[in-house]
Amino acid sequence: MSETPSPARKVSYFLIAAISTMLVLSIVMLYQVFDTYRKGGFLDLLSMTISISAIALSSYMFIQMTRKPLKLGFEIPKVSTTIQCTNCDYNNIRDFQTGDYVLKEAGPCPKCNNKAIISSILREVTEKEK
Amino acid sequence: MSMEMSSSIVQSLLPQGADLLGWISQLIFWIIFIIFMFYGQRIQTTITLREIESSLFRLKLIRDRGRTIAISTIKEIGKSTEDPTARVDRVLEHIDIWPVSLDPAGIIGRLEHLIDVRELRFKDEVKLMVPQADETQINNLTNVLEATLGLNQLYKIVRHYYLLGKKTLSFYVIMQLQMILPLVMKESEAYASYLRASTVGQPIGDGVGALVAAKLMYGRDKRKVAKDIVVSEVPLEGRTTYVLKAEGPGANGGKPGEAIKQILEEKEGKIALVIVVDAAQKLEGEKTGEVAEGVGVAIGGLGVDKYKVEETAAKYKVPVHAVLIKEDTEDVVSTMKKTIFDGAEAATEKIKRLIRENTKEGDSVIIAGIGITMGIAQ
Repeated sequence: MSETPSPARKVSYFLIAAISTMLVLSIVMLYQVFDTYRKGGFLDLLSMTISISAIALSSYMFIQMTRKPLKLGFEIPKVSTTIQCTNCDYNNIRDFQTGDYVLKEAGPCPKCNNKAIISSILREVTEKEK
Repeated sequence: MSMEMSSSIVQSLLPQGADLLGWISQLIFWIIFIIFMFYGQRIQTTITLREIESSLFRLKLIRDRGRTIAISTIKEIGKSTEDPTARVDRVLEHIDIWPVSLDPAGIIGRLEHLIDVRELRFKDEVKLMVPQADETQINNLTNVLEATLGLNQLYKIVRHYYLLGKKTLSFYVIMQLQMILPLVMKESEAYASYLRASTVGQPIGDGVGALVAAKLMYGRDKRKVAKDIVVSEVPLEGRTTYVLKAEGPGANGGKPGEAIKQILEEKEGKIALVIVVDAAQKLEGEKTGEVAEGVGVAIGGLGVDKYKVEETAAKYKVPVHAVLIKEDTEDVVSTMKKTIFDGAEAATEKIKRLIRENTKEGDSVIIAGIGITMGIAQ
């Protein structure tokens, strides 16, 4: 009832810059290792291991940063209430309000002044659910 | 001299130049192979334990969030100065001890008594926390507490087996837990949806049977027939139908079994047909909102209501038909969606056809809309 939507995950620009720098430097280092091997036939195993590890680490950190916040199942879906007249074709859809229930009297119909009722309360289905 | 000789022997055993890399990889391969040969299961156990740990952490977050929502909802409705936290925590540790089944004779009566006592206890707890709440709010808050209790129990059971597996390092305990974990997580999410819907009293998928009955009995005179059950006499297809459902719009299931039994007894069995409408678990691949027909008493729960209807229907030889609206586990406890609502319309048409095909004009028929009637009046 008093639930507020969880704030969006904030990512520090400094962190993005640091990870990007690490990724670029490690790619340059890996290139240099291969260049040295191509020219002189010497394979610097230590530098190669360090640069590959740095690429893997920075990629992992990027993936972690772009991950969506953990969903627990309490997220509030969009729920709409449909009000219909019992006499004419009047039909009004609005957001659900606390206290609404199906077959509740919703005042007089604005078109014919007859009794209007809540005919349905429905959750909007997300694309994933479809 | 001997030192030089041994050094040259070692040098000859070791590969030279370009072969060195291949030799190192070969060595690494054999080391990994030997480690996995002796410690493979231990490594797998550790990885599985880590996976369970992350699910358990998520389960704990869901449980804690559920508890917070329950407390804040009670505070909001109650508006009292007294903090309900201690009372809510006490309810969350509630344990049910079901009747002994070694001698099954009379177990239904004993089970019904325990269910009644349990329900009364929960409602009393809510009344103490929110004294000025109306019947609808009491029913909804009772359901909020039930859902929170369910989440707490799920968490505690998973934590028990996780710690047991960790302590004993039993591969089989850990593997069994890991195998059922996706279903447990699905169930916990269903509880979370139920809790969320209960706080605001929105109709849930389980209430589709009650919705069918509510639409049929709308505008008619109603009377109470059993605990929390209302019935209306509705003329339908030239027959007299007794349409019943739990009294809404609070979260109520009522005692539909007792109600059907009472009507059958009142009419001395002069009922041509009993139709039970309820939500049913859909199988993967089936469509949500699809309507199926069957024979038998489609009432869920522990079996008390089902038993009563079966017993009385068999006594008077009254046929019992079922109209089922298919839903996923999550849909059953989440706010109702359009496909399920449309299923209610289709179910009404099937009921009319069943009445036309199986009874004569002037006959009497019972139509029972089963389910939690939260957010659905009559």
